[in-house]
Amino acid sequence: MVVVDIDRTSQVPLRDGLGAEPGAGPGPTPPAIPTPRQVSPARRQDRWHPLSGPELLNRLRVTGRRRPPADPELAQRLRSALDHGLLPPDAAPLPAPGAPLVVTKDRLTRALACELHAEPSGFGDRTPTTALACGALVSALFRQLVTVGALGDPMADGLAALATDGRQRALVDWIGGLASAERRELEAEVVRQARGLECRWPTLDASWLPRTQEVLRARVAEGTVELSARVDLAIGRPAVDEASVALLEATSGSRCRQHRADLHFYALVETLRSGVPPFVVATYYTRTGELDVEPVTEELLSAAARRTVVGIRSISELERGTAVRPPGGLCVRCTPLPGWGLGHPPVGGGATGRRDGELDRGAA
Amino acid sequence: MSAIDRTMHGLLAPPRVLEDADRLAVRTLLVAGLSPLAEQQPVGAQAVVSLPALRRMGTGADPLLEEPFTWKPAYVRRSLGLAVVQACATGHFRAPAQAVAPVADAAVEEWSRTGWRTFHWEPWLAGLAPGARAVVLADALTWATALWSALDWGAMPGATQIGGLDDQWVCPATRTLRLRARSELRVPLSGSPGDAHPGGPSALVSVSSGCPGPGWSEELAYLALVAGLRSPSRPVPSRVLGLWPDAGFRGFVEIDRPVLEGTVERVVATAAGLVQARTTRPGPGGADVDAAAPPSSLAAA
Repeated sequence: MVVVDIDRTSQVPLRDGLGAEPGAGPGPTPPAIPTPRQVSPARRQDRWHPLSGPELLNRLRVTGRRRPPADPELAQRLRSALDHGLLPPDAAPLPAPGAPLVVTKDRLTRALACELHAEPSGFGDRTPTTALACGALVSALFRQLVTVGALGDPMADGLAALATDGRQRALVDWIGGLASAERRELEAEVVRQARGLECRWPTLDASWLPRTQEVLRARVAEGTVELSARVDLAIGRPAVDEASVALLEATSGSRCRQHRADLHFYALVETLRSGVPPFVVATYYTRTGELDVEPVTEELLSAAARRTVVGIRSISELERGTAVRPPGGLCVRCTPLPGWGLGHPPVGGGATGRRDGELDRGAA
Repeated sequence: MSAIDRTMHGLLAPPRVLEDADRLAVRTLLVAGLSPLAEQQPVGAQAVVSLPALRRMGTGADPLLEEPFTWKPAYVRRSLGLAVVQACATGHFRAPAQAVAPVADAAVEEWSRTGWRTFHWEPWLAGLAPGARAVVLADALTWATALWSALDWGAMPGATQIGGLDDQWVCPATRTLRLRARSELRVPLSGSPGDAHPGGPSALVSVSSGCPGPGWSEELAYLALVAGLRSPSRPVPSRVLGLWPDAGFRGFVEIDRPVLEGTVERVVATAAGLVQARTTRPGPGGADVDAAAPPSSLAAA
């Protein structure tokens, strides 16, 4: 475990929240980025190393952009955009108040990826897979590391954590029923990622108010829609003058464009809920140690609001059974296997029998 | 002015105390509404109106939603979270993340040494594997941080009570109908700085999950109603601040007679729903009608 010495980071003066970025004032000129010709043979031998400890934390804190000011009108503009998109005069009504349409990142993504396979009424139970189990276990371990600062036996700790959540019972049972070879494979990956986390993830200062699995909710469109998110890690005090909160998702899988869209949705919900956007959103890939950081801007939030409107309209059409759009090319369940046409699932069900996340090898 | 400044300004504003005549009128109205309902209950049953019951009835959810009680992190987070906030407010720790593990460990250690369970969950927590214990601590930490960061603790009156016993009041009738309420904070108020004392005017602070429903102000006023019924010698709390951290919502309700009368109406409607549900769908004799919530004592800080 790498401990960040807060006092020694005083070159970057700490303020409320996650500390401030270095000032935009005069400073040393950054070294020129070497062109390929200038890279020495020795340098070319270097391999990429994931960030750890203070470097990782600085990457999260220092985005290279000024943090958004606490502008009370920004949240209002976003809310108006959502309301106008969701409540146009000629549109069919959304569900009545009292039973808001709950929209999560996954539900939004499914609806946008493919209306054919998005489940109209619910959130979709995911069939357990090794990847899903690994993700759930590593997510629990990440939470443990942030909260208590240490991991023991990763598999035992992860399973004990999942067992406290009744919603994870099916997954825990599924892991318990794995054949020994599969279980060993799962355990090896969980242990590998856990050791990586222990080596790289910095201890967060208590004054930055780290909180895990924080729930974000915002009702829009006259209360008919509830945007809902649960963030793996939020850091930073509530904003006073400028954005001071960072949101981070820890993911055990591979990098995927979709993860950024998920983070943008989180940033949108946080802005609507607290009135101030997070200054940064990030995905931490526990498999590789990559940290994908994105500063939050008004453009990002506006784009997220537009995407959310489109997704909610799709969900709403699905609920009413009036969806007309063709199946999406991003949907793994629409991928044709031999003898299937695009968008035509096998008779009797939509599942292709492939595991989540497998590549679309059969796609034309 | 930041959201926290606005919240503190509203919370600590000079109080308006309910007149005794208004208080009596509200109590009379409540007893008149509840007594006939209490009498309708089967022998041995007792209805318990609580804030969750009030909310469930408002949404049309099953008022008798029941699940057998087993310990889970959600039943610990409030009491442990309040203890964490207390430890920070008294200056023992800088922030909740520092406090959560030592506070939990101290509770377990105290129980191991004396057998006394301050929180009731100590034996359960002591028996958990490290991974499960971490979930309990993480849940409590997130809960405590939401409360800790919502208020300016440096501006809070020194006699602010964090947690404490639930407020309860039993309707005077031959069969038991109980009102139960809990607040996270009781803040003494005064007209002038330094004048606040525990027996005087006060404000309550309530923390809820999710989004506030359309009847949130009546729900907050319910807390003041039960507190006022429970302690007739103390003034009815002057206002209630509701915090919904998930939704980033902070709402005040100033307590006066019309507000309390509206709340009485909702309490009576909730009690009627509970009694009717139990009458048409009888459960085990003598069971509380209020379900889906852990025993109140479990959450006492």
